[in-house]
Amino acid sequence: MILEILRMAFDSLTVNKLRSFLSMLGIIIGVGAVIAIVSVGSGARSQVTSQISQLGSNLITISPGIRRGTSGRISFTATDLFTMELAAQIRQNCPSVGRIMPNVQTSGLLIAGSNNYQTQVVGVTPVYQQIYNFYPARGQFITEEHEANAINVMVLGSGLAQELFPETDPLGQTVKLFARNRNYLFVVVGVMEEKGTGAWGNIENQAFIPASVIMKKINNRKYVNGYTAQAVSAAAAKAAVGEIEYFLTRYLGSADRFRVTSQEQLLETITQVTGTLSLMLGGIAGISLLVGGIGIMNIMLVSVTERTREIGIRKALGAKSRHIMAQFIIEALTMSGLGGLLGIGLGWVGAVGVARIGGWPLVVTHTSILVAFSFSLLVGVFFGIYPARKASKLDPVIALSYE
Amino acid sequence: MLIQVVNLQKIYRMGPVQVEALKGVSFQIEAGEFVAIIGPSGSGKSTLMHILGCLDQPTGGHYYLEGQDVSTVSDNELAEIRNKKIGFVFQQFNLLPKANILQNVCVPLIYGGVRGRRRQLKLAEEALRQVGLGDRLHHRPNEISGGQKQRVAIARALINNPSLILADEPTGNLDSKTGQEILGIFRHLNEEGHTIVIVTHDPEIAKQARRVIQIRDGLVQKDEVIA
Ligand SMILES: Nc1ncnc2c1ncn2[C@@H]1O[C@H](COP(=O)(O)OP(=O)(O)O)[C@@H](O)[C@H]1O
Ligand SMILES: [Mg+2]
Repeated sequence: MILEILRMAFDSLTVNKLRSFLSMLGIIIGVGAVIAIVSVGSGARSQVTSQISQLGSNLITISPGIRRGTSGRISFTATDLFTMELAAQIRQNCPSVGRIMPNVQTSGLLIAGSNNYQTQVVGVTPVYQQIYNFYPARGQFITEEHEANAINVMVLGSGLAQELFPETDPLGQTVKLFARNRNYLFVVVGVMEEKGTGAWGNIENQAFIPASVIMKKINNRKYVNGYTAQAVSAAAAKAAVGEIEYFLTRYLGSADRFRVTSQEQLLETITQVTGTLSLMLGGIAGISLLVGGIGIMNIMLVSVTERTREIGIRKALGAKSRHIMAQFIIEALTMSGLGGLLGIGLGWVGAVGVARIGGWPLVVTHTSILVAFSFSLLVGVFFGIYPARKASKLDPVIALSYE
Repeated sequence: MLIQVVNLQKIYRMGPVQVEALKGVSFQIEAGEFVAIIGPSGSGKSTLMHILGCLDQPTGGHYYLEGQDVSTVSDNELAEIRNKKIGFVFQQFNLLPKANILQNVCVPLIYGGVRGRRRQLKLAEEALRQVGLGDRLHHRPNEISGGQKQRVAIARALINNPSLILADEPTGNLDSKTGQEILGIFRHLNEEGHTIVIVTHDPEIAKQARRVIQIRDGLVQKDEVIA
């Protein structure tokens, strides 16, 4: 019986192909939009998160707190708190913290022979390599000895090495740094590996020197901007954050003076933001589905009116109300289901296109397909019920005399 | 007794206006009879047939079909009775235009719950052979003549082996020669034992029935058995 009704539904749709297609269009576009949007959302998200987790999901940033200015008091950033010694203390007092390094940097003009390049100069300690999973490809990195004695050595990012020494081997060469109106001479001891542009901007064009050189020779300050810590494992990141907060609150006397953010929190925020965004766009696509449903209802009502006589004949031959109801609901379902399938195809094509343009992986999840398709079926049932009920309630004698 | 109607009334209400189409009709029909109902246009013949065919229900009186009072049953039960016990033939043929004639004859089988498409098609083919249309099975209704359409309708009415065949002016849209052929089929069916009630305003056709009930203004005026 179901099979017969299904075939009947299909037949009646093929009689008016163009009309059926036009009524399905809303559903097609709606489902297509849902699939494409969800795919674009998760594609973009997976790209961002993979970039962040490349840096290590167990990174924790400790930065100065901002005290808000209330009633006439000016807001200020709590500086002059973080020393090199404090870094050592944090490591000692927080068992979940594996490595920690200060954040100090300056910017300046690097000059090598006739080439020069304005860039970021990062003050590092040897643990930088492990924390950022970023190692020299040639030569060596900054060593404990360089750091302890504040020796003027420099490691170049691979891009920077190209800029300054396009022809010659940079190892052992001298580079002049012009910063804060003074010149400093450095010997190049290493060149970093290539990593591609990541979430942190272009690290390929940075230069690395001992943190102590920046603090003692260039900035002449014993304070650093903050710290980057690494938990002993990704699982320990949360615990590390808690330990650092506990320790620093007691050490500095107030929780206002610092902020601790983990990579994980950053990830969560990004996930949340992109989630909200997809939800919003998905909502808009949902409205399109709704409009599609109304389109189907409209055409079903027309169809019921057109086929009043057919309904009368069927009833005269013994069709019960539920048979007529089933016939029209299945017809609406066939329309919305077919529209859903076409929409999935359309959405897929759209997702492939956008992913190619955006340069992120194509993510079309089973869930989004299933949800969009079930939703289109639901729309079919929902908007099919009213016309179907109308058809099933027709009086057979009146329906038979309909011209 | 196959049919007993007692003081059957039908009043149509259209806002403030009331039309009394049947004003108290009573008669009985035994199984195996061939009854013609005649009367002028607007006298209530179709209204009566719709009630007898369980397409409509009376506003007063009782209708017993095989002893069951069907003036009070639910819509669903009425549909079931229409499907199993009654074969209705219309003046307008009322075939489904988009289905071929084989599929048309199958429709009552589908709603009757006869399982298996192949079995349905076989039964339908047999019924169409009985009315002489074995070679037109896959034609659509608009590809055959009026007389042939009415034969399809008769095959469709017969397919579930109903106890009662009702025909409301079955020859009204046909020329007289074709009309005679259709009437011949009904007579043949009656000889095989089917109970047939046929509405007509053609006295020539009425003469060929075995009993004539004359209706006028919603009342039985004459009820006579012809030899
Ligand atoms: N659905 C209806 N609504 C109102 N009046 C109707 C309806 N059907 C029939 N009638 C009226 O009932 C009377 C009998 O009609 P009908 O049974 O069709 O007569 P017949 O078939 O003998 O020509 C007529 O006056 C007709 O106008
Ligand atoms: Mg009539």
